[in-house]
Amino acid sequence: MQPPAISYQLPAKSGFLALLGLTIVFVMGGAVAQDKTLVLRGGKLLTVTHGVIDNGAIVMYGGKITAVGDVSEIHAPAGAQVIDVTGMTIYPGLIDSETQLGLTEISAEEMTNDLVELSDEIMPQMHTAEAFHAESTLIPVARMNGITNAVVAPEGEDTLPGQDSFIQLAGANATEMLLIRDNAMPLNFTGDQRRNKGGFEKRKFPSTRMGLAAQLRQAFLDAQDYKLKWTDYQRKKADAALNKDKDQNKDKKPEPLAPKRDLKSEALLPYLEGKKMIVLAAESPSDLQTAVSLANEFKLKFVLNHISHTQPVLDYVASLKVPVIVGPIYEAPKEDERYDTVYSLPAQLYKRGVKIVFASYSAHNVRNLPDQAGFATAFGLPYDEALKAITINAAEIWGVSDQLGSLDVGKTANVVVANGDPLDVKTDVKRVFIAGREVPMTDRQVRLRDEYSK
Amino acid sequence: MLSSVWLTMALATASGQSEGAAHRDIVIRNAIVMTVTHGNITNGSIYIKDGKIGAVGETVNAPAGATVIDAGGKYLTPGIVDSHSHIALDDDVNEATSPITPHMMMKDAFDYQDKAIYRALAGGVTTSLLLHGSANMIGGQAVVIKHKYGASRDDMLFPNAPRSIKFASGENPKRVYGSRDQLPSTRMGNFAVQREALVQAQDYMSEWDNYNERVKRGDKDATPPRHDLKLDALADVLRGKIMVQIHIYRADEMLTEIAMAKEFGYKIRAFHHALEAYKVADQLAANNIAIATFSDWWGYKQEAWDAIPWNATMAMRKGVRVAIKSDSEDYTRRLNQEAAKTMRYGGATEEEALKMITLNPAWIVGVDDRVGSIDVGKDADLVIWDGYPLSSYGVPEKVLIDGDVYFDRSLPSLGTTHYTEGK
Repeated sequence: MQPPAISYQLPAKSGFLALLGLTIVFVMGGAVAQDKTLVLRGGKLLTVTHGVIDNGAIVMYGGKITAVGDVSEIHAPAGAQVIDVTGMTIYPGLIDSETQLGLTEISAEEMTNDLVELSDEIMPQMHTAEAFHAESTLIPVARMNGITNAVVAPEGEDTLPGQDSFIQLAGANATEMLLIRDNAMPLNFTGDQRRNKGGFEKRKFPSTRMGLAAQLRQAFLDAQDYKLKWTDYQRKKADAALNKDKDQNKDKKPEPLAPKRDLKSEALLPYLEGKKMIVLAAESPSDLQTAVSLANEFKLKFVLNHISHTQPVLDYVASLKVPVIVGPIYEAPKEDERYDTVYSLPAQLYKRGVKIVFASYSAHNVRNLPDQAGFATAFGLPYDEALKAITINAAEIWGVSDQLGSLDVGKTANVVVANGDPLDVKTDVKRVFIAGREVPMTDRQVRLRDEYSK
Repeated sequence: MLSSVWLTMALATASGQSEGAAHRDIVIRNAIVMTVTHGNITNGSIYIKDGKIGAVGETVNAPAGATVIDAGGKYLTPGIVDSHSHIALDDDVNEATSPITPHMMMKDAFDYQDKAIYRALAGGVTTSLLLHGSANMIGGQAVVIKHKYGASRDDMLFPNAPRSIKFASGENPKRVYGSRDQLPSTRMGNFAVQREALVQAQDYMSEWDNYNERVKRGDKDATPPRHDLKLDALADVLRGKIMVQIHIYRADEMLTEIAMAKEFGYKIRAFHHALEAYKVADQLAANNIAIATFSDWWGYKQEAWDAIPWNATMAMRKGVRVAIKSDSEDYTRRLNQEAAKTMRYGGATEEEALKMITLNPAWIVGVDDRVGSIDVGKDADLVIWDGYPLSSYGVPEKVLIDGDVYFDRSLPSLGTTHYTEGK
């Protein structure tokens, strides 16, 4: 039985907007709109969606891409600023599908970390958007290598550590940079969530996978109950109002009491209603199958994450027909696995028709996202698929493919100009445009370099 | 025919039966040979005799019966040398019970069966310096290994490698001991502990000098001082018999370590990590101190906050010998990519980049006369690459050590019986 959609009946002031699950506000990079037409002319365009244009041009206006094509087809409007990019390679801004950008500065300095709450394993009411530090030193460092968008996720030590954000790596402040708040929620079932460290005397619940599963199941049941309580309340309230109108003189029923707010359950509802995406993480075949059963039990809509050691069940993975955030492919193989077993996982998944995306799973090393995609090609992933895995595939998974992930007219003008192949470690990014505005090619590291080069 | 010969040879190596192979003559031909010391030879050949490089050039003279390996026009480089590694030591990296432990021998912890050795080999690494950790101001003595996975423990030790000792500085020692309310908990404490140990070593040396002098004079009453392992090791540092490898981040600490070395009369071989080397590169060059650094790691701790990816090339341009190292079971598998980043950050040439993972780390380890470049007389530690090695795409196809194949991509189980074949 599908419970009725009650979201719309709840008072907005009680903070139930989250229940709508549809109120996605998409701010395209900046209060100040791009007011000048920009034309990049003469480079090799990797459009991602419609091939390579060897001698291409791209026009940006109002934060959007307004024209893409061969130089012969594109005419710069009067007053446009034309930038010659002959010899350069032009591609869409790269999308990192899991980072901790804005949640940390110096890993070992605890006061600079807002990575995960460890007091409970079920923390869906945590919003990374509320910890996101827009002025982080790390963001320009990542941006300078052409990463223009990223998912910000809490670290994985909880089963439900909180909700992700989808960000743009430029903007005047956090509000501008947080393109989508609470865009998805990790559900981790990798074993790392157990509280079993330090011997039996120090263990606390949940110290086993059984405990983790039971705790999670209870949380989802509580959320379903909670929803029923509110539905019931709304119905009684409506009845009372109706009776009041019908007959003023009849015995009045007492006004129904509103249930107590429960933020955890509220946060879970859009996911239980299939309105938002769960990012389901597992490492091994057994954990994967347990996690998928749990997700199916509650009809969750999900993508998979990690699955680094599931090689024996890749056909099963393919049969789920869901995308996979794969990696990191640098994860060490298990004792009985081949040396290249994790390196070749993207290719193995692709062969089976699985849509894949890459993530850096990092904050400081987000800039190295494309290296991983390039390396996967050395183990059988076709080049075009590797590029898609950090552009259009990611845009599709995160529901923004109408705006990001390729060089197409109408999309946000997130455009990167580099001196070569975007997936090669040697390639130097020369210019980055985010929502049509050129980002200064400087960061703290560049400033230090220049200071000590004098 | 050729392939079956090859297979037999490869399998013989895999099962550790390499004794006979040591006298084999091998020719690798049709390779782009990146020598590191004298440029690239396109369509080059190498003659391997008794595990050493016998000849290298466009053509080489070799006996008629030599086994021929056709490299198929692929790139061939010297084996990679990782000058900062902690693999194959299980959990025994740090004897973190005292800040001064120079008598720890990493060889005693060396787990020659650790698969990390094979995984690094599969990334082209043929020699590694396995160091003590950085918990102690003066840690243990390193062991140098060749990645002959499948061979016996003793066959994996780099023969007659010079001795190295690990020193540390900065956050790690002060955190480890400070968290226990012990000395050191500050950088002043760090250096005081180090100086105190070196003074003790000087006193110890005097005691022995005194005793030896008395014996020489024929003094029958002379009794020898106690043999103290710890002070013996430090005395050898002061005598210049052990190379000093220092874990260090901040520029100011580098200057203090240089001053300390002068105060006690020893030389520093290399600063490891050395993320602020670019700030004091002139002083490093003047003191002939190399660095073993990361390509672009940063921000993981306060003392790594000023790390910049141009560190390697900026130091190199000031005349510092620069190595890119892993300090990681993960990164040691793709040091070629890490080196390639120096071509981007600061414009290292191909040869300069390659040198940072071959000849320069070999110098840091003290084995640059035997490995690190493709020159006649050096060990035949060689990598044939699928793809261009200084890129995201280059991965080893075959890795030879002392002329024997220890890794072959077409035989992924080579060197170990534990890997399952195929998928």
